[in-house]
Amino acid sequence: MFTRTMRLLLTGTAAVSGIAASQAGAQTTPNGTAAGVLVTNTANATYSVNGQSQTTASNAATFVVDRKVNLTVVALQSADTQVNQGQVGAVTTYRVTNKTNAIQDILLDGDQNLSLGLGLGTDNFDMQNLKAYVDSNGNNQYDPGVDTATFIDELAPDGAVTVFLVGDVPASSAQLAIVNLHATVAAGGQAGTKGAALTATLLNSKDDVDVVFADADTDGVGADLLRDGQARAYLAYVVGIHDVALSVTKSSFVVSDGVSTLNPKALPGAVVEYCLAVRNATLGTGANAVTLTDVIPTNTTYVPGSLKIGLPGGSCVLLGGEAQDDDATDDTDGTTYKGSFDTQTKTVTAIIPTVNGGAAVSAAFNVTIN
Amino acid sequence: MIPFLFAAVAAAASPQPAAAAASPLALTTTMLAETRVPAADGSVTMKLAAPNHVGPGDRVVVQLAYRNRGTAPIAGLVLANPVPNGLAYRGPRGAGAAPEVSVDGRTFGPLSTLRVPAVAGGTRPATADDVTHVRWRLNSPVTAGTGGELAFQAIVR
Repeated sequence: MFTRTMRLLLTGTAAVSGIAASQAGAQTTPNGTAAGVLVTNTANATYSVNGQSQTTASNAATFVVDRKVNLTVVALQSADTQVNQGQVGAVTTYRVTNKTNAIQDILLDGDQNLSLGLGLGTDNFDMQNLKAYVDSNGNNQYDPGVDTATFIDELAPDGAVTVFLVGDVPASSAQLAIVNLHATVAAGGQAGTKGAALTATLLNSKDDVDVVFADADTDGVGADLLRDGQARAYLAYVVGIHDVALSVTKSSFVVSDGVSTLNPKALPGAVVEYCLAVRNATLGTGANAVTLTDVIPTNTTYVPGSLKIGLPGGSCVLLGGEAQDDDATDDTDGTTYKGSFDTQTKTVTAIIPTVNGGAAVSAAFNVTIN
Repeated sequence: MIPFLFAAVAAAASPQPAAAAASPLALTTTMLAETRVPAADGSVTMKLAAPNHVGPGDRVVVQLAYRNRGTAPIAGLVLANPVPNGLAYRGPRGAGAAPEVSVDGRTFGPLSTLRVPAVAGGTRPATADDVTHVRWRLNSPVTAGTGGELAFQAIVR
């Protein structure tokens, strides 16, 4: 009988705690009990005095679960971002996760390298207009004009979003720019409103929701610190291939001397063709805006309208290439290549928009020997 | 049966100070946060303090102090402490007797003897996370004017 009663009493206790447990279910997050949850402990005693059974409940001891602030920022790309000089809107991609036991805003900003040893190489230029944007549609691709949010709004516990750093490469940059996404946990609770960065609570009571920083030192180089409510991840922009192996060879042969058709000699009045061949030996990378200039030798006279530019072949230019006129106006020149002859400086100029990797372009012009 | 049920209802309904005044047993619970204090020599001491800075994963000690303030001995004392919501049981603490635990509030025993339903069906051995109730049964009577202290270790879920 007594045992059975005991069971009944304990069953009653269990039923009460069962209800409370289901309430607590809504108050837990993937990162633990939600901040602000009141933890209450009450004990019960059953005993007998002089054969009379009695029960006693204890006081209720309470405390409030604090806001344990934690976040992670990781690079979402395994390699550096390859860029070209003058490139606008170059992107590096990161992932920010809220490890706090509450919904938080997260502030974002892009920082340049802090000139510290991160094992990413030696930083030697800075990106321009570096800004952070949140991936609004979850495709992990930066969509200009679509991904416009500059802070993470109301990120749920254990929720993660992709963040992009977008910047411009200076026109005359060096090779490597190390950047980092700097994320700071801020107050949540108001959708669409950027919360203020959290600060650790110093003076507090057990019944207040305190801010307790629990984040790691994410870089180990001093920019980010242990338990500061901030995190950083580093990536680099690399200006791909800076130089191509471009070479120019110049050759000449006598076209005619007015005497011998089979074996013309360099006699006065003879016509000589000069050939400039520019070769790009770097496979896969074109050389843009190649300009060849050549001052004709003394005691020679440029043959007007003789400049031709095209693919190598024949005596110099394959199938005559594109003929150029001699004036400085490029509009009337060939469609691909442009050329001119300056009568004052006696300089032949050939402009080649692109010499493809592994390819060559030749320019030919004639002079007569005075 | 009926008087016992009334007793249970009365205990649950009456305000605690009134119940305490009427009962010969004074039962007080406290929760303290356990923090690691590293010393310069590399050793770590555990310090108990008011639970001001407590978040998920932090260690908490639940203490239970009892005292017989009546004149007659108290026999058959059973102290039951449901594990508070938000806490997970971790183990006994201190010099007091090790408690029995339960995963359902009905069956008590050592943790190693308890089983809980598994997600995939059937049952699995219970872990400390599954403990819902902690109970101490005192074998010897508590004589008038004496008392004791019991505690268990928990963490914030």
